Amino acid sequence: MNKLLLGRYINGNSLIHRMDPRSKLALSFYFIGIIFLANNWQTYLLLIAFTFLGVLLSKIKLSFFIKGIIPLVWLILFTVLLQVFFTNGGHVFWHWGPFTLSKYGLVNGVYVFFRFVLIIVMSTLLTLTTSPLEISDAMESLLKPLKYLKVPVYEISLMLSIALRFVPTLMDETAKIMNAQRSRGVNFGEGSLVEQVKAVIPILIPLFVSSFNRAEDLATAMEARGYRGGEGRTKFRVHVWKMRDTMTIIAFAVLTIALVILKN
Amino acid sequence: MSIQAKKLNYTYQVGTPLEHVALQDVSINIEDGSYTAIVGHTGSGKSTLLQHLNGLLKPTSGEISINGYTIDNTTKNKELGKLRKEVGFVFQFPEAQLFEETVLKDIAFAPKNFGKSEDEAKKIAREKAKLVALPEEVLEKSPFELSGGQMRRVAIAGILAMEPKVLVLDEPTAGLDPEGRHQMMEMFNRLHKDENLTIILVTHQMNDVAEYADHVIVLESGKIIADSTPKELFSDPEWLKNHHLNLPQTTDFAYKLFDKLALSKSSIPLKSEELADEILKILGGNLNE
Repeated sequence: MNKLLLGRYINGNSLIHRMDPRSKLALSFYFIGIIFLANNWQTYLLLIAFTFLGVLLSKIKLSFFIKGIIPLVWLILFTVLLQVFFTNGGHVFWHWGPFTLSKYGLVNGVYVFFRFVLIIVMSTLLTLTTSPLEISDAMESLLKPLKYLKVPVYEISLMLSIALRFVPTLMDETAKIMNAQRSRGVNFGEGSLVEQVKAVIPILIPLFVSSFNRAEDLATAMEARGYRGGEGRTKFRVHVWKMRDTMTIIAFAVLTIALVILKN
Repeated sequence: MSIQAKKLNYTYQVGTPLEHVALQDVSINIEDGSYTAIVGHTGSGKSTLLQHLNGLLKPTSGEISINGYTIDNTTKNKELGKLRKEVGFVFQFPEAQLFEETVLKDIAFAPKNFGKSEDEAKKIAREKAKLVALPEEVLEKSPFELSGGQMRRVAIAGILAMEPKVLVLDEPTAGLDPEGRHQMMEMFNRLHKDENLTIILVTHQMNDVAEYADHVIVLESGKIIADSTPKELFSDPEWLKNHHLNLPQTTDFAYKLFDKLALSKSSIPLKSEELADEILKILGGNLNE
């Protein structure tokens, strides 16, 4: 759990850190979309170079990203192998029962691998350089158009920001309760499946109970401070669109055009 | 049940940009049956050190030996089970660990985990409930129906039910009212005196350190900066001030009084009874007669 990088934030002051979270979030989604435009080695090379540039600009060590991918390596390998062995087409090298090793499959496997890595690196880049609060702010403003469809955008973003705020608190709490139960003789991750599931109860119940208590306290504290719902509130953090955001959008536009031209 | 740590180091998240050294070259010696207080600022490494005492954390380097068990970074998790029975660990706000349907079952949880039969465990649970002054009628209630102070008692009873030889207390009285605080500290002291329990207490309350402890360790930024008796520690107010620590109220008052009367500060009282004796001496008579 400690090793998973996705969703962590590292304070910094690079160009990417200072970007508007709205553009960062929107562009990260956009990037995942345009990855599927790539279908030959030129386009993949272009995407890799682009992602690498992003990592470089964030001033966070590349090795750090690589370590972030390692916990997910099994998932990637599984998908890649599935692709490699079950895709037919092109020259067949090897054949056994339902498994085939074809040229087409191999190439597809490599593409899937890079697709995975690029998506993980790009989303890690987003979360490493954007604090959770900024992300929820960005979510709110990106969801704003949905207000006209009667979606409770404000409530959703409030829940999101509270949820994000309490992720580390709950993680700490979980660790603490696990330690407390370990001290009382519970062994986690040992014994038969039934025993392991049973060992989860002494963590889950206290965690739920404390979440209820916490929610009640938080609601009381919010009401006491004059919270009356989303309508008519002003904002403390106002995001300002800067030149660098426009530049990034242009960079993404150029990338998209290049991909469309290069793909076959 | 003595505890020795030799050159203990602990680093969180080794090899990431979030790497953080929590303990540096910590060597301590805690004697059997002693009452040790560990003090220091928030983030000085107290809790990290405590978690080494029952193997929740393993040292990054160095070793710690507890009653013959030696733990270093190669120790397997499986071997730590027996150790955990001997070292009872009361976490900060321990009421967060309650989960069973009834108070009695919750207290009996630990002994059952360590191999006691259902009946034996329940018998021990009843004894310990009495020890922490829980009324008989709450035993069949759900722990979540109780008041905060009672929940704390249930949690502590649940640890005592393991019948540990060492009791580790991480701010056991945080958030309790003065009466509850006093009762709880007195109960721990009784256990220490009557059952020769080794107690390790982490606290910010210097009054408790002065009142109960016979050995005090001061941590600062993961290093030990003092390892002595409370008497020695509190005999140097200047040093305490430099390290942002307080004097116990009694000692603070005594220093001020002795200053005013221009008396020598060779024997500085830690407890209120000692202070009363000193004042009697100053008055030059024995009022008890």
